[in-house]
Amino acid sequence: MSSEDKNKPNKSSEMSRRKFFNLIGWGGLLASVGGSAVGTYKFMFPTVLYEPPTVFKIGKAADFGMGVDERLKKERQIWVVKNDRGLYVLIAICRHLGCTPNWFPDQQRFRCPCHGSIYDIYGNVRGGPAPRTLWRAAVSIDAADNQISVNFLNRQDPDPESTAEGLTVEEPPRETAPYFVKSA
Amino acid sequence: MADWMENLKNKIVETQVWKSIFRHGYPDTDTNRALVMFSNVLLHLHPVKVRKSALRIRYTWCLGGLTFFMFILLTITGVFLMFYYVPDTRSAYQNIKDLQYAIYFGNLMRDLHRWGAHAMVFLVWLHMTRVFLTSSYKPPREFNWVVGVLLLVLTLLLSWTGYLLPWDQLALWAVTVGSKMAEASPLIGYSGPFGREMGMRVDNDIRFMLLGGTVVGQSTLLRFYVLHCVGLPLLATVFLAVHFWRIRKDGFSGPL
Ligand code: FES
Repeated sequence: MSSEDKNKPNKSSEMSRRKFFNLIGWGGLLASVGGSAVGTYKFMFPTVLYEPPTVFKIGKAADFGMGVDERLKKERQIWVVKNDRGLYVLIAICRHLGCTPNWFPDQQRFRCPCHGSIYDIYGNVRGGPAPRTLWRAAVSIDAADNQISVNFLNRQDPDPESTAEGLTVEEPPRETAPYFVKSA
Repeated sequence: MADWMENLKNKIVETQVWKSIFRHGYPDTDTNRALVMFSNVLLHLHPVKVRKSALRIRYTWCLGGLTFFMFILLTITGVFLMFYYVPDTRSAYQNIKDLQYAIYFGNLMRDLHRWGAHAMVFLVWLHMTRVFLTSSYKPPREFNWVVGVLLLVLTLLLSWTGYLLPWDQLALWAVTVGSKMAEASPLIGYSGPFGREMGMRVDNDIRFMLLGGTVVGQSTLLRFYVLHCVGLPLLATVFLAVHFWRIRKDGFSGPL
């Protein structure tokens, strides 16, 4: 301990000031770099989407004939299926990798052109690589105009158990509300 | 007469403009010869000395060089295509048709771009096979092998992002399938392993970012266009520079 040290009583506070500015400098730099990184990341995710409506009306139940109706496939990506008890809506997106399957009335099967998935009229997997059954969109009847309203995003997604045959699934037809409406 | 030319030449090479571009004199001394090498971007990418055996075409087949040639060719023809192609879902297909059938040299440009892309993928593959078979990935070149693998991935991504642009059935479904695969990637995809545990939803995962939405549409086309024409080529250029720089540092491989 020399007398010089005693002549500098502020030394410790002097150092803390240096540390303080160091902290402010680097902290500010890091904060601005980090902030702009977060901002750039968020920039890549649009907050407004200009996409087809996800809830839409498709007309009255009486407008559809028996069996699979393909009229709305292109515009709405759905099939409307009607049997003698009522009506349900299948989403025309293959559960394998998202292609649009085709309906073959003679075989009573949906077949996907991409990798050969096969579904029956209820959407059950009958063959091919598809791991799950076709989605069903939620449907309801609007009391005001008796039209059927489809919710494209509200989907039934049953997880069929795998069977000895692999991905082929035997499943009772799923006709539960709100994925099924009684015929008018 | 000769005097007059000599004077003019001296006048030119002594101007500020000339000196700011060429920072060395005529390469007649050792210093200037070295400066010619070190101050020239293209020459500097070459090693100071090259083994005679490494220059034998039957050793490397110049496959890396041919790959780079394809990259240059694709850049140039790609710029030409940009004059007529608009990344708009309503006009993209028609623009490609115009390029093929109406625009003078359009079909040539498109085919050069298309076949060049196929050739580049093929050449990268052959190049890597050659590097593997001649053990040229071994130390001290193992880092450059890693950079090369990144360049392979970039080549494939460039091919894939170009695929969507014609906006035909093939392109549309290829990207539908491809982005579904992205959705199944671990951690960052909605339906991939641990995706949901990481808080991924259909509107915040990697597929959403790639497509710019939840369905393949206008924003998808635009995003793939920007990726294809700006993002990935820039990235590839950076890695190419590192790749060549590393080759210079390590020297060409040669038969042992
Ligand atoms: S997308 Fe349907 S079988 Fe692959």
